[in-house]
Amino acid sequence: MAEAIQKKLQAEVEKYTLMQKDVSKSMAARQKLETQLTDNNIVKEELGLLNSTNTVYKLIGPVLVKQDLDEAKATVSKRLEYINGEIQRYEAILKDMEKKSEQHRELLSSLQQEYQKAQGLAVGKV
Amino acid sequence: MAVNLTDLSLPQLEGLKTQLDQEIEFLTSSIGQLKVAQTKYVEAKDSLNVLNKNNKGKELLVPLTSSMYVPGTLNDVETCLVDVGTGYYVEKSVEDSKAFFKRKIDFLTKQIVEKIQPALQEKHAMKQAVVEVMNVKIQQLQQSQQSSQMVGTTSA
Repeated sequence: MAEAIQKKLQAEVEKYTLMQKDVSKSMAARQKLETQLTDNNIVKEELGLLNSTNTVYKLIGPVLVKQDLDEAKATVSKRLEYINGEIQRYEAILKDMEKKSEQHRELLSSLQQEYQKAQGLAVGKV
Repeated sequence: MAVNLTDLSLPQLEGLKTQLDQEIEFLTSSIGQLKVAQTKYVEAKDSLNVLNKNNKGKELLVPLTSSMYVPGTLNDVETCLVDVGTGYYVEKSVEDSKAFFKRKIDFLTKQIVEKIQPALQEKHAMKQAVVEVMNVKIQQLQQSQQSSQMVGTTSA
């Protein structure tokens, strides 16, 4: 009886560790998006300060390519939109994961109690 | 904080201290990184001073690689190309570029002074409090151990 519970407990713990790994992976991805968001916001601000006398270049590989100011602004705005969307997506994923881990933690603690009880019974019998 | 420090056990306090140590380390290294970035901007701003009318047409050596230079003449002292981030470069007048670098330097100073340093001080204060509570707890523990030993010897 105790052994069966122990096996189940071990399997659940393993599942839980995997889940935690996923959580930290998503956290890292979110953090990265946050950095990109700040980067792009800074660029947007800088582009906003320019006027038509300034020439804008975009670095593509090792080459600087001349680009229209409005086009650059549009690109950055689009990027910001995309990044914000991604952050929201990750936020939802993380919330979901948090809920699942919470449930899993409860499952684990109840299993642990069961296991301890079963162990106590086994000892009592001997 | 809703949790009273004195209610926590020694291992919990130990864990809290480790966490605070990590946070302090992170913030300190952030300040270091920002200062490095700031120095770069200061250097860039200073080197713009070379671009003035007096130096126009002067000869200079252009580094093609880190070990090879070719001669050239300073043709344009009015504009330069500034990296504004995420792969965008903007041609600006020297004055505008200086203003750009000044903006960046001020921005970084603000981040350090207004955001990171207060946070760091707060963490330091929290750590101090945790360490104090830990010391009190350790002393209490030692005292209770000593008194229980005394009881043990007298009864024996």
